[in-house]
Amino acid sequence: MLLEQLSGNLIQGVVLGAVYGMATMGLSLIFGVLKVVNVGHGAFVMVGAFVTLFFFSSLGLNPFIAIPAAFLVGILLGLAFYYAAIKKLLNAPELATLLATFSAGVLLEETVKMIFGSEYRGFNWDVGKVDLIVTALPMSKIFAALGSVAIALLLYVWFKRTRAGSAMRSVVEDSHGARVCGVNVDGVYAMSFALGIGLTVASGVLLTMFIPVGINPYMGGGYTLKAFVIAVLGGLSSPYGAFFGGLVFGLIENTSYTLFAFIPGVEPFSLTRFLSFLILLIILLIRPTGIIKAK
Amino acid sequence: MLKVENLESGYGAMQVLWQTELEVEKGTITSLLGPNGAGKSTLLSTILGSVRPWGGVIYYENQDITYMPSHKKVGLGIALVPEGKHLFPNMTVYENLMMGAYQKDAYARSRESLDTVYTLFPRLKERSWQMAGLLSGGEQQMVTIGRALMTMPQLMMLDEPSQGLAPKLAGEVFETIEKLKYDIGLTILLVEQNADASLGTADYAYIMHEGKIKASGTSEEIKNSKDIREAFLGI
Repeated sequence: MLLEQLSGNLIQGVVLGAVYGMATMGLSLIFGVLKVVNVGHGAFVMVGAFVTLFFFSSLGLNPFIAIPAAFLVGILLGLAFYYAAIKKLLNAPELATLLATFSAGVLLEETVKMIFGSEYRGFNWDVGKVDLIVTALPMSKIFAALGSVAIALLLYVWFKRTRAGSAMRSVVEDSHGARVCGVNVDGVYAMSFALGIGLTVASGVLLTMFIPVGINPYMGGGYTLKAFVIAVLGGLSSPYGAFFGGLVFGLIENTSYTLFAFIPGVEPFSLTRFLSFLILLIILLIRPTGIIKAK
Repeated sequence: MLKVENLESGYGAMQVLWQTELEVEKGTITSLLGPNGAGKSTLLSTILGSVRPWGGVIYYENQDITYMPSHKKVGLGIALVPEGKHLFPNMTVYENLMMGAYQKDAYARSRESLDTVYTLFPRLKERSWQMAGLLSGGEQQMVTIGRALMTMPQLMMLDEPSQGLAPKLAGEVFETIEKLKYDIGLTILLVEQNADASLGTADYAYIMHEGKIKASGTSEEIKNSKDIREAFLGI
């Protein structure tokens, strides 16, 4: 019984983890290239969720069409935010970019609240279920996981095979070294920030497949926290590391949720969050470079 | 080829360069000497554009390039071998070299440039699939110089290329610099702590102290001037 439930959790965990991983790649990319921690990460995820709501509920379209749209919205938001604030703060103390990304997150939440209101809005994209004996998975979640893997692969190829991708990798490795090679480092900063926000907003589309209670403008906070844990699991500055960190985190979250539920009187949801941060603390103490060796 | 007039720059509120005047003639090795903290590295960084000039003019081939962004200067043929190497440690030697050919013109001719680099440093060809971070200090310095060559420069500025190397390897670096001049036809601006070896290879030399150029002349003149040697070089 327990074994069956755990193997079911394993499958659910991998599916959720793939999406978690994709949702953290933008955070890691921005940190890797610009050394900026995007504290407003969750708010950008939330924007993606609302883009999905608009496409699905208002336009009646397949939510997957929202992925490129959300990506584009993210690129534009990222560019605007970069040139309005981040660019000027790159040489300031780190607290400056922390405050800037935090306030950008608040501003986004309040803007979305003004447009859509603050109540929860649920939507259900029902495209059937797959029965896997130990567990049943909605097709929407499977699509989200496949979409995440596809985006992660695209990003991988883009990094390895394109000129812009190698410019970004070189800046991650050594920005001064990149400069003497003739890379326009300031341009790479702008592009990476925009791409990072684009990926984050796009991940909001995929994450909505996992939110049964619906979305609201303040849904992002939890994702910021989870993304930090995942990014640290993956070694912080590597988007691929983040992807595998997401897989690991999805497994931990699902398994611990099941196990905690066996203890009477315990609220598994909160304890899972506690466990996440315990893991984060332990990793930071024993392996600050991340548990996953990803290049 | 390169002419610097009245150049001033610094970091934040701290001024480092004061009315710096310097000229590098085509086809020569010009050596910039002086103690630590004299502003030599800052001068090279300001010429490349990674440090913004506060005033003065930089001419390259009679063109005013004072406020040109550094990636455009690299495109014009100015290369910097930075102090502390600044390699990409998790990329292979080959990938590091190919990053030097990042700009379109350099990429179009990267095959020939790569041949030039491998002829100059046969060791790099053997190590081409190794991660740059795992190489020895001497090999890393070869990659740094090779990577700068891949940008197809006319003028190569080297910042303390023999720093941290054993005497034998340091000697090889100076031999390499002479090859860059005689075999490849580059113009060299060389910053060094090692005054003796540097004056041995250079045609001209400038002495820098506390952000100002204090003396200049042919290497012979500097070498033979007891005053300069005692006041600034301690040799």
